[in-house]
Amino acid sequence: MGAINEIAARLLETGEAKVVIGYGEGSFGSVRPAFARNQEEAEKLIYDKRCTQNLAMYVYKKEISPLRKLAIVANVSTLRGIIRLASENQIKNGDIITLYINELGEVIECKALSEIEICLAEITPEIKPEDKELIDKLDAMTPQERWNFWISEMESCIKCYACRQACPLCYCTQCAVEVNQPQWIPVAANTSGNLEWHITRAMHLSGRCVECGQCGEACPVNIPIHLLPIKLAEEIKNIYGTVSGMKIQESNTLSTFKPDDKENFIG
Amino acid sequence: MARIGVFICHCGENISATVDCAKVSELAAGLPGVVYSTDYKYMCSDPGQSKIKEAIREHNLTGVVVSACSPRMHEPTFRKACAEAGLNPYLCEMANIREHCSWVHEKGDATTQKAFDLTRTLVEKVKNNHPLESIKVPVNKTAIVIGGGVAGIQASLDIANGGHQVILVEKQPSIGGHMSQLSETFPTLDCSQCILTPRMVEVAQHPNITLYTCSEIESMDGFIGNFNVKIRKKAKSVNEKLCTGCGLCTTKCPTKNIPSEFEQGLANRTAIYVPFPQAVPNKPVIDRANCRYFLTGKCKVCQKLCPTGAIDFEQEDEIIDVKAGAIVLATGFEIKNTDFFPEYGYGKYKDVINGLQFERLASASGPTQGAIRRPSDGKTPEKVVFIACAGSRDPAKGIPYCSKICCMYTAKHAMLYKHKVHEGTPYVFYMDIRAAGKNYDEFTRRAIEEDGAKYIRGRVSNIYEKDGKLIVRGADTLLGGKPVEIDADMVVLATAAVSCDGSESLAQKLHVSYDPYKFFAEAHPKLKPVETNTAGIYLAGACQAPKDIPESVAAASGAAAKVICLFSNDELTREPIVAKVNRMPPPIFSTCMGCEMCISICPYQAIDKENITNRNGEVIKTIAKINPGLCQGCGTCVAFCKSKSIDLEGYSNKQVYEEVLALLNN
Ligand SMILES: Cc1cc2nc3c(=O)[nH]c(=O)nc-3n(C[C@H](O)[C@H](O)[C@H](O)COP(=O)(O)OP(=O)(O)OC[C@H]3O[C@@H](n4cnc5c(N)ncnc54)[C@H](O)[C@@H]3O)c2cc1C
Ligand code: SF4
Ligand code: SF4
Ligand code: SF4
Ligand code: SF4
Repeated sequence: MGAINEIAARLLETGEAKVVIGYGEGSFGSVRPAFARNQEEAEKLIYDKRCTQNLAMYVYKKEISPLRKLAIVANVSTLRGIIRLASENQIKNGDIITLYINELGEVIECKALSEIEICLAEITPEIKPEDKELIDKLDAMTPQERWNFWISEMESCIKCYACRQACPLCYCTQCAVEVNQPQWIPVAANTSGNLEWHITRAMHLSGRCVECGQCGEACPVNIPIHLLPIKLAEEIKNIYGTVSGMKIQESNTLSTFKPDDKENFIG
Repeated sequence: MARIGVFICHCGENISATVDCAKVSELAAGLPGVVYSTDYKYMCSDPGQSKIKEAIREHNLTGVVVSACSPRMHEPTFRKACAEAGLNPYLCEMANIREHCSWVHEKGDATTQKAFDLTRTLVEKVKNNHPLESIKVPVNKTAIVIGGGVAGIQASLDIANGGHQVILVEKQPSIGGHMSQLSETFPTLDCSQCILTPRMVEVAQHPNITLYTCSEIESMDGFIGNFNVKIRKKAKSVNEKLCTGCGLCTTKCPTKNIPSEFEQGLANRTAIYVPFPQAVPNKPVIDRANCRYFLTGKCKVCQKLCPTGAIDFEQEDEIIDVKAGAIVLATGFEIKNTDFFPEYGYGKYKDVINGLQFERLASASGPTQGAIRRPSDGKTPEKVVFIACAGSRDPAKGIPYCSKICCMYTAKHAMLYKHKVHEGTPYVFYMDIRAAGKNYDEFTRRAIEEDGAKYIRGRVSNIYEKDGKLIVRGADTLLGGKPVEIDADMVVLATAAVSCDGSESLAQKLHVSYDPYKFFAEAHPKLKPVETNTAGIYLAGACQAPKDIPESVAAASGAAAKVICLFSNDELTREPIVAKVNRMPPPIFSTCMGCEMCISICPYQAIDKENITNRNGEVIKTIAKINPGLCQGCGTCVAFCKSKSIDLEGYSNKQVYEEVLALLNN
């Protein structure tokens, strides 16, 4: 039995956690999220290279949230998701124990949010090579080409909102797309409606996105939709030097009024 | 069902000259929900307003649209008229068919159509209006005056004499500003100190005035009637309560060679110093940047000498929290120094000086006791060239405006020089003589006709030093550009008046607007010259634009009158155009997720958090809460909130959306 299973079993036994959110074997060699509530389920948890999903999105789901305290098996994205959620007051210190598995395969148990920050301080987040490649390709395009690229990609969006459901930061009980008084974003899945939805989504995640790529991963029609918030995150890092989901403080980059902010990005 | 009344104003001929008002009214009558529509020559006039009132009563209107001028002027007029007829004033909206239409387009069908379109959007908006109640806020009857020049002094005294508390904040160790440096003042040539010093003393002794010197504004929040201001009182290193102002310490300070700011570098001062003998307060401060103890850790001579033990090297900056109902900005101006002018030697010629330096030379209390001697060798100059418009009215130098005071003080300087050096010759290079003002033209004429100042119309192209003389080369444009060369002993530059150092950051702290030259902007150039665009903050003196003393004092008294008017109310009513976080029945309570990001984005610190509790007092949910007293209705949070949980009263998403839709569905 691996370290993960032992720790999960202990946490459930001592009652330190009511549920351990982690990964389990799925069908056809895939992994799926798993929720261990007892010893037996704890034994079935796994962790290996395939476990890239950001599980942070489960901590506020209405089926899980009442079970706090929670424990969660975490990769870097999950840690960042949790820190970001904490900086937006969706998690309190002590709500959650993270079982972070580092590069060496060691499990680091963090009970306080500050311990997660310490883990993250060692890490320089990087974009996946295949994403970087596509971003570079898009950067090299003329604005018109880029526009055409996105229009043609978004054409196939079926407005299933899987991208939203997968995102650790789309926790609103009322999403902007559900507001119908007035209906800012049309319900229909058509070119302009899709565009409005995706621009809104990108704007709502700018400065918040933790670059996990889950949204793109979840898309049933394979739109690389994660590149929009990820590109914005890069821009913010270049302009302001801040990276979302690394520290609880200092992360409201785009939502802090400063009288001395220069408006040099205009014109 | 909506019952909307539409009223199209001709604004004399301002609108009707290009817009067919009758046609707009006719078209409006056909809009769904519109039950009454008319046009009239002057809607804002008494009969115009009566038309609105009658229509409200007769047709039982649920909303009113007045298509006329900008709402800035007459929205209150029409809203009041509606209220008098029993309709909630916030059910009245204005369409601007003057500035946005008739004034910017030519007569024609398209212009009339646009006037109708603008009207139509407002009809759609007003259908979604709902009654609002104005907000009442208490008024704190203390005023803060920032800057203790003559303007700040006058404003403080006027407000204090009106029976209100005043907190006067001055950045320097003494109040007095530029006027305390002047020798004699145009147009009467009375001694500047003699008329100013008594007022400075009055400030110090006034029971209603609290004076903080060496102090600046650290931060401000709040709004008219209720400002919260933090004042940073810099460490003076001298305990004011213990110091008696005997001045013993200043006599023995070993650091004696610091150029005196007050004397414009024409004399030196010590590190512990009183800026000038008439300073208020008349107690020394230590200039830490130059004090030997602060530089080397050794000295403390002053501490040993001080009979009352007032010297306190450990003193720290103090942050003082004050609450005030009004703020008067009186931070004055500065002048460009001679080093701004490459053509006049970049400040490297000692005998090329600025106007303030001349004031010090001419001043009886100045470094030469009022004798005109040139700085390089102390000789009495026989020929002095005065150059007006040095930097001013020169777009190439980035100062296209007129500094206004220079024509007059240059004439004064020429006169003072002649009065003191009878055999000397003053030359004045000028562009135009701008002497508009009571007794001003007479004054400049006197300089020319009685005191023999030689006025040459033209610019000076350059100055260079030769054999102990300053060769001034220019052209006389009245003689067809004839070259002029004068071998002067001294040159006085009437350098451009510019906004004071730090005015931009102060404006940002106080949320007041400023012009491209960083002078503070008035709310209206003609009708609101002493008000800023931020309610409750007023302007006095040269911080708004270059001004002479009479103008600065007049503006100061104007600002004081505004403050006293404000303080005559115990309560203020504010427009209820404020943001609100939505609330709904349990279990949701509000769609606000409590991310608190709006809290940091609000420029007015109007947002706080609020706990929703159950019967047992347990917190169920924490959401954002907007303080209607602080909210300025800017809408930043509305646009930001990702869950769209905030809306702006009077400009709700729904209202704006319907307006836009009306335009699109043309
Ligand atoms: C050479 C010269 C000669 C002149 N001669 C005449 C004359 O003969 N007759 C005449 O009518 N006018 C004359 N003037 C004009 C006169 O000086 C001004 O009209 C007058 O000083 C304006 O007063 P004020 O209070 O607005 O500004 P100032 O005198 O500039 O006072 C401003 C005060 O605010 C303080 N301050 C600045 N920033 C801050 C801050 N951030 N916080 C706190 N305090 C701050 C400054 O330290 C200063 O004490 C002359 C000007 C010059 C340059
Ligand atoms: S990459 Fe996508 S899923 Fe991940 S945080 Fe950013 S927007 Fe959300
Ligand atoms: S997951 Fe893909 S298809 Fe579904 S809404 Fe998002 S982008 Fe559109
Ligand atoms: S109102 Fe919106 S921005 Fe403010 S705390 Fe609530 S969800 Fe966040
Ligand atoms: S509208 Fe919102 S952001 Fe603007 S002042 Fe009001 S609360 Fe602050």
